[in-house]
Amino acid sequence: MEVAWEVRSAQPLESSLPTDERDDDRDSKRLDARLSEWMRAAQRGDAEAYRDLLNAIQPKIRAIVRAKIHQEAAAEDVVQNTLLSIHRGRSTYRPERPFGPWMRAIARNSIIDHFRDRKRRGDREVELIAEQWADDRQTDEMGGDSLAPELEAALASLPDAQREAVTLVQVRGLSVAEAALRAGVSVAALKVRAHRGYRAMRLALEGKRKGGEWPSARPAHAIEKTTSRGAG
Amino acid sequence: MTGGSNRLISSLVEDLEPIRLLPRLRLAYGLILTLWAGLLGLVLWMRPGEPGLASLFTNRIYFGSFVGLLLAALGGTGSALAAGVPGRERLEVGGMGISIVGLLIAIVTCLIGMYEVGAAGIPSPEGANAMCFRHSALMSLLPAGLILGFLFRGWTVHPVRAASLALLGSGALGAMIVHMSCDVLTPRHMLLSHLSLPIVLVVLGIYPLAVIFRRLRR
Repeated sequence: MEVAWEVRSAQPLESSLPTDERDDDRDSKRLDARLSEWMRAAQRGDAEAYRDLLNAIQPKIRAIVRAKIHQEAAAEDVVQNTLLSIHRGRSTYRPERPFGPWMRAIARNSIIDHFRDRKRRGDREVELIAEQWADDRQTDEMGGDSLAPELEAALASLPDAQREAVTLVQVRGLSVAEAALRAGVSVAALKVRAHRGYRAMRLALEGKRKGGEWPSARPAHAIEKTTSRGAG
Repeated sequence: MTGGSNRLISSLVEDLEPIRLLPRLRLAYGLILTLWAGLLGLVLWMRPGEPGLASLFTNRIYFGSFVGLLLAALGGTGSALAAGVPGRERLEVGGMGISIVGLLIAIVTCLIGMYEVGAAGIPSPEGANAMCFRHSALMSLLPAGLILGFLFRGWTVHPVRAASLALLGSGALGAMIVHMSCDVLTPRHMLLSHLSLPIVLVVLGIYPLAVIFRRLRR
């Protein structure tokens, strides 16, 4: 018996695991090696490898984020922030290290940042302004025209950086991460700029909107549209 | 909801450029310690008279504070560098623990020394406290520059922790040079002039540095 035990214990640990676990372990190692290889190529500037890498890790990041953030829109925002952080921090990945822990550390940090930002900035206010903006845009779309002149004037009166942030997120409909990438600033900086822009616009527009409509709303135009739709 | 992410991925791919990798942690750590050792050698060589280091095995208060400060310097520097690389949290937390324990050992040793000779301890020669503090600050500039250079190129997972570790590590390395070269070995002087620098640096610099890291990071 003693001899048999010695023989068994001399076998590698992996062979003493059940087959399923061994396969899972091998699969995850193989996947990690592939991700690491893609990242190495991306660090050299290989766009195809980078696209493969980002597409492969996107669902993994989403799974990590959704486990902590249940609200879909907020979770998607954090997924995008994580992708952006991976992009900006890609020089810190060393090819000789496993890829998974590096990626998970960045994802975890984006989640923590999300909760911290929410707590600090009172997101509710931003959400309310954004909702109001969305209402205005819808009204506007129904009118078949661009933004209400009051909104355009308020937007034009903002400093360049704030106007750019508000335009990218609200007018062009980009996500915060995309807008940050376009503006060449951090996600946090873009959020701050947009937030300040919303506040300044809200102050500028205070009291101008009565009964849910802007004074510049053209009833004749709206009636004409309705009539033409009815006729069609 | 993945449409936005897919669009972002396309933008990121368009934005891709070849990059220079961050140096290995071991290499960066080795480089900092080598340059620091060079600076220490230069200071000891230029210094007239017998340095405090000569009393390492004859003065137990000096020995305790030396070991503590050395742990704080080595642990703080290593963990500060690890703080700039995602996925190296274990190393970061381990180094942080070593540096905090080291600093506590050094402080407690000096307090015991002060207690043994009376509540206020032996007063230091006039001007010695301020001079050693200034020298420690000056000596910490080189390690601080190197550690911060690494962290600015890196991606700090925990900006506040990274800032405190960078200041603690560089402050302790600077203080270590003065601790080894200074010949005033009274516990009170060692506590006020040699050991206080890392703490003062952390208290004064943690917030502005953390803000810089946070801005650089995302």
